[in-house]
Amino acid sequence: MKHKKPMLWLVVMNKELLEALREKRTLTMLLMLTLLYPALVGLFLHTMIERGTRTEKAGIELVVIGGAQAPNLLAQLREKSVNVRERGPMADADIKALLSEKKVVGVLRLGSEFGAYYAAARPAPIELWFDSSLEKGEQRLELEAILRTYANGIAGARLAAHGVSPVVLSPLRLERYDTGDAAAGAGKRVSLFLGMFFMPVALFGLSMAIDSTAGERERRSLEVLMAQPMRARDLVTGKWLAASALAALGLTLELIVAHGVLSLLPLEEINLTWRVSLPMLALVIAAALPLCLLVGAAQVAMALNSKTFKEAQASAGILLTLPMLPLIVIPMLDLSTQPWMYAVPVLANQTMFQSIAAGQALGAEAYLLTCMLPLLLAGVAVAFAARRMKSEQYVMGI
Amino acid sequence: MIEVTDIYKRFGEVEALAGVSFSAANGRATALLGPNGAGKTTLMRTLVGLVSRDRGAVSIDGIDPAADPLEARRSIGLLTDQFGLYERLSTREYLRYFGQINGMSKAAIARRTDEVTALLGLDDILDRPCKGFSQGQRIKVALARTLLHRPRNLLLDEPTRGLDVMSTRALRRALAALRAEGCCIILATHVMQEVTGLCDDVIVIAKGRTVAQGAPDELCRQTGIASLEDAFVHLVGTDEGIAA
Repeated sequence: MKHKKPMLWLVVMNKELLEALREKRTLTMLLMLTLLYPALVGLFLHTMIERGTRTEKAGIELVVIGGAQAPNLLAQLREKSVNVRERGPMADADIKALLSEKKVVGVLRLGSEFGAYYAAARPAPIELWFDSSLEKGEQRLELEAILRTYANGIAGARLAAHGVSPVVLSPLRLERYDTGDAAAGAGKRVSLFLGMFFMPVALFGLSMAIDSTAGERERRSLEVLMAQPMRARDLVTGKWLAASALAALGLTLELIVAHGVLSLLPLEEINLTWRVSLPMLALVIAAALPLCLLVGAAQVAMALNSKTFKEAQASAGILLTLPMLPLIVIPMLDLSTQPWMYAVPVLANQTMFQSIAAGQALGAEAYLLTCMLPLLLAGVAVAFAARRMKSEQYVMGI
Repeated sequence: MIEVTDIYKRFGEVEALAGVSFSAANGRATALLGPNGAGKTTLMRTLVGLVSRDRGAVSIDGIDPAADPLEARRSIGLLTDQFGLYERLSTREYLRYFGQINGMSKAAIARRTDEVTALLGLDDILDRPCKGFSQGQRIKVALARTLLHRPRNLLLDEPTRGLDVMSTRALRRALAALRAEGCCIILATHVMQEVTGLCDDVIVIAKGRTVAQGAPDELCRQTGIASLEDAFVHLVGTDEGIAA
């Protein structure tokens, strides 16, 4: 031959990519997933930040009924930055309706006999109405603490008037020491989101992996292809790399978008950090390439055995849940970061991403472990697929 | 030159090939006749080395496809009952893909694309995506793919089905030209007119074995039946081909 022969797997890969990029469904899916996951995580974190900072900014919203009977109490509440709004008498149903608007933390209703009982040093009736289904539990507890302090103050004054030291009311002196590492706790929370970024890896190239194998079989073009002077290995490799290339492309775009989103959010407000530089991001993406190869190989090996696109789609459901397993099961075990985690695909990428995001340096073995198993499994899947394609049983089925 | 000597192939209980022998010479068109289910597909797949035979010998220009399937396939152009087009590729891209797979250079692909375009009249669909092609257009594109790498041996399974009269004539002229160039052409068909008009030899297979081989008029002489179609039915032994 005069000219240099192209590598056949490359020819197959190029053709598959050309076809896939001409298909609207593949492109739309790629674009949607690329934007969807960072947008979801961004939105979630944004809400968390909003919620985390709202209390300090706005204080506790409280409605008080019959407040004129206890001016001192109202003064103390206001002093503790509670926004007190006084209202006239309200029926139970009206209070419920007010609470269902979800704007106030609670409604404090002083009984009509409050003033009289208070003056007589009898327990003065006071009601706190709240909606426990609202996420304002912390603010309500704060409110109750203010009430308790106020009550203790009065009790102390009454005891002192009787010549008893208020100290008898405090048999314990409790002091609290929190050793929880704020950064570690936040790291655990953010790791869940970082793991989410790796989930669509199984989706980016899926429709192409299925179309180029089960689809080609369904349309009966596979037989023509298999009768060409090309080894089954080259054919499978081309399709595998094409599917993996789409997965890698999708992941790269997605992580770049995510990086933009996370860099813009004021994460320090909720004790999170995003100390990722572009070279770091490139490293994370590079370390995820073996995962893309594994996903492509598994999809091609699986779809190869399906006779139709539909059939392959059904089996793909199982394959799609697999990458989620380590992300769901391992956090449940509540483990700290350990070296073996780098040997579990997806979990390894998540752990690595999390460490890098927290600004920790990683050793070479972490990268090595992250890449090793996916590459090994991808090799096994491709070898299996090539063997299967060569088998007579398969040829007769096409 | 394709030589097949007494090949057998069994799938479980089914004996797909049970003693097929024939020889198809260069520069000749050989018709492969047989009712549906006679084993033609299995035979074709055996010739390109997709299916292994249980016993017997096959030689494609001296190469055994079981031993070296890739080398055997390089000298074969196979058109099966499936065209295998890709909806989102244009005819030109489709031809380029298969040209590359067959190890052709860029220049050779471009030259041969022009040649087969002229031969089969593909000008109007050359740069259109294959989606929405008519049956005739599809088969022409598949044929162009089959001929692109100038195979010395052509295995064509019903190449004229779905073609209009003009295209059928064009195809026959093309096949006649290839035969004159020294190609070995095996043509599976059900159209007796095609056999008499184009083919020098006829192989009749039924139930996995060769029942007759020879020139069309020779078969008629052998059976003592004037019409080739009646001779074929007689050789196959039953009316099953019609009933099925």
